[in-house]
Amino acid sequence: MIHDLAPQVFNGLVLGAFYAIVGIGLSLIMNLTGTINMAHGSFMTLAGYLAFTMVSRGTSFWFALIAAPLIAVVVGILVERTLVRPLYKREPFYSLLMTFGLSLMAEEIYRLIWGPNGVPFSPPPGLASAVSLGFMSFPKFRIFIVVVLVVAMAALALFLTRTRFGLRLRAAVQDSEMIAALGTNTQLLYAVNFGLGIFLAGIAGVLAAGMLGLSPTSGNALLMPAFVTVIIGGMGSLFGSIVGGLLIGMAISLTTLWIPAASEVSMYILMALVLMIRPRGLFGEEGIFG
Amino acid sequence: MTLNRRSFVTLAGAGTAAAFGIPAYLPRIGEAADTLKIGLVEPYTGVYAGPAENETAGFQLALDAWNKRGGVMGRKVELVKEDNQNDPGVGAQKARKLIDQDKVAALVGTVNSAVSLSVSGVAFASGMIFIDSGGHSDNVTGASCHWNTFRTCHSTWMETHATGLSLAKRFGKRWFLITPDYAFGHALEAGYKDVLGKIGGTIVGDELTPLGTTDFSSYLTKIDAAKPDLIIVLVQGDDYTNCLKQMNQFGLLKKYPVGGPQVEIEPLLGLAPDSRAGYWGVEWYYKSDLTLGKGNTLAHEFVAQSTKQFGKPPTARNCFGYVTLDRLLTAMAEAKSLEAVKIAHAIEGSRFTSIFNGPAYYRKEDHQLMWPMWIAKIRPNGTPGDKYDLFDVLDIEPAEGIEQSIAEKEKVCKLGYP
Repeated sequence: MIHDLAPQVFNGLVLGAFYAIVGIGLSLIMNLTGTINMAHGSFMTLAGYLAFTMVSRGTSFWFALIAAPLIAVVVGILVERTLVRPLYKREPFYSLLMTFGLSLMAEEIYRLIWGPNGVPFSPPPGLASAVSLGFMSFPKFRIFIVVVLVVAMAALALFLTRTRFGLRLRAAVQDSEMIAALGTNTQLLYAVNFGLGIFLAGIAGVLAAGMLGLSPTSGNALLMPAFVTVIIGGMGSLFGSIVGGLLIGMAISLTTLWIPAASEVSMYILMALVLMIRPRGLFGEEGIFG
Repeated sequence: MTLNRRSFVTLAGAGTAAAFGIPAYLPRIGEAADTLKIGLVEPYTGVYAGPAENETAGFQLALDAWNKRGGVMGRKVELVKEDNQNDPGVGAQKARKLIDQDKVAALVGTVNSAVSLSVSGVAFASGMIFIDSGGHSDNVTGASCHWNTFRTCHSTWMETHATGLSLAKRFGKRWFLITPDYAFGHALEAGYKDVLGKIGGTIVGDELTPLGTTDFSSYLTKIDAAKPDLIIVLVQGDDYTNCLKQMNQFGLLKKYPVGGPQVEIEPLLGLAPDSRAGYWGVEWYYKSDLTLGKGNTLAHEFVAQSTKQFGKPPTARNCFGYVTLDRLLTAMAEAKSLEAVKIAHAIEGSRFTSIFNGPAYYRKEDHQLMWPMWIAKIRPNGTPGDKYDLFDVLDIEPAEGIEQSIAEKEKVCKLGYP
């Protein structure tokens, strides 16, 4: 039993770390402006394809891992300034519909540029193989993803708690009118915050392209797990997103052990349970933003 | 007459209809009389978008060839395309739209078996010919067969029985299956269970994965504990790409042989060479005498024209599209009629040669195209100068040896002509 369980638990935690990165980006944007970004997956795919284009022209993977998300950020801020911003004063429903439309358009645009088939994008040679952990052999690249999660979380936490900008961001989440009245440029806050969320989406997108596969639909396929992550963890809490991600990673992995066909539905069952017992999600009130 | 608000609205509405609606409608009636429309339903979005595009390219080539020769019964032929989004419900709705609004003369498509089944049902209810070009589930020409439905690509039974014995002989009889959780996957699973039952093999793992699965890790981590002789991959399209890529990262391709009933060029191109591996069933290939037939000029012209027109060599999907439309239009021309029953009788039973090795026919009893399958080994890097040349075709399996016999088929399939 333990022999079967250990690989699944380990794999579930690593998968969960990946969902956490996606969920945190989504959560950042949702917390400040109430925008439910349905195009989050499209920005992941965009960064993935940009990294693919760079690497196939001879750039190193490491450069692409940072540069591709940064280009996605530029696109993201353009989208925020022109399309999302006019909807901030309306119900969240409007920006949800707008970003959903955007994601459909993006998928078609990627199909036109990079073709309808998946494209080959591999991890860098040093991380391409598996390493033996004793109880199983596991891809080095997936372990690298956990490292990225830890580094990204530490950097984000420092940014939010130790910089003046981060302080304003957290204040704006609590009361954006008051912070505007005190003389802070809230529009700049919104734009930077959106960019930050897209940067995390971009990093996750490049990692997903290396770990899972890259096709016009690949980012959108990861959007639902990301939303479930945020809902389980609790809106407004970045720590909650980490816990939410790890929980659904475990749920998917452990369900596979006994009922493989139900692995996809397991995260929704978990979400339903959490919502029934605690409608705000597990950490809906506390956490870094709370 | 005084113009109050209500009558103004009525008048304005009628005027708008007169200005836009009716003249826009008239040319459609005229058009319908001139051109012969064929409705094509394909999953242009989602995991099968690549194969759908190539199947459409095959349809296009047959269409161009027929129109160049003056069309069918003096009428130009036109394809009306609809996206079925891999959803049987959407597929049925689009099929109805093609029948009711576009007034198509017949329906063709689709890469997704589940959609093929739903479109087949709609076509049956409307008494219209449907040729399933690329959905493999046995049901289409088995338990859910209809007099109006034909199938060009191989059935799942043919795929599993063409490959099962040689895979077992080569690698052993303990298999681990990675199965897509819908009609197509279940049918393949049933086919392999039949093969293993006959030779005394066992399935040591059978993972049902939802269509569109991106992460296969939780399934793959179970393989080591099961200690199979062979990993059988039944998922297709983008799912195939993701699965093989992750198998390679987990180090499984180095430990276990891999193979399956069907491999296509499209998803292989999405993989880096180090993740391309295994022995697979092949439904058609553009570069082998075994698949094309020696000296088959039609086949070579098809390959040359397709490569020129679309900038890449044709795949099995191009072949399905081409053969499907070519046979449909041939039957219409032979029957000199658009009446579905007459077309159906013209398609069934007649032997023909086409762009593959040897004669073939749509079997009268179940409307399955009887043509050979091939077994190939993957060449990860292609051949010098041709990155598409990924299959080393080793063997040919004639249709009669791999499909269920007529007697067996007649137990489940009743065509039920009107």
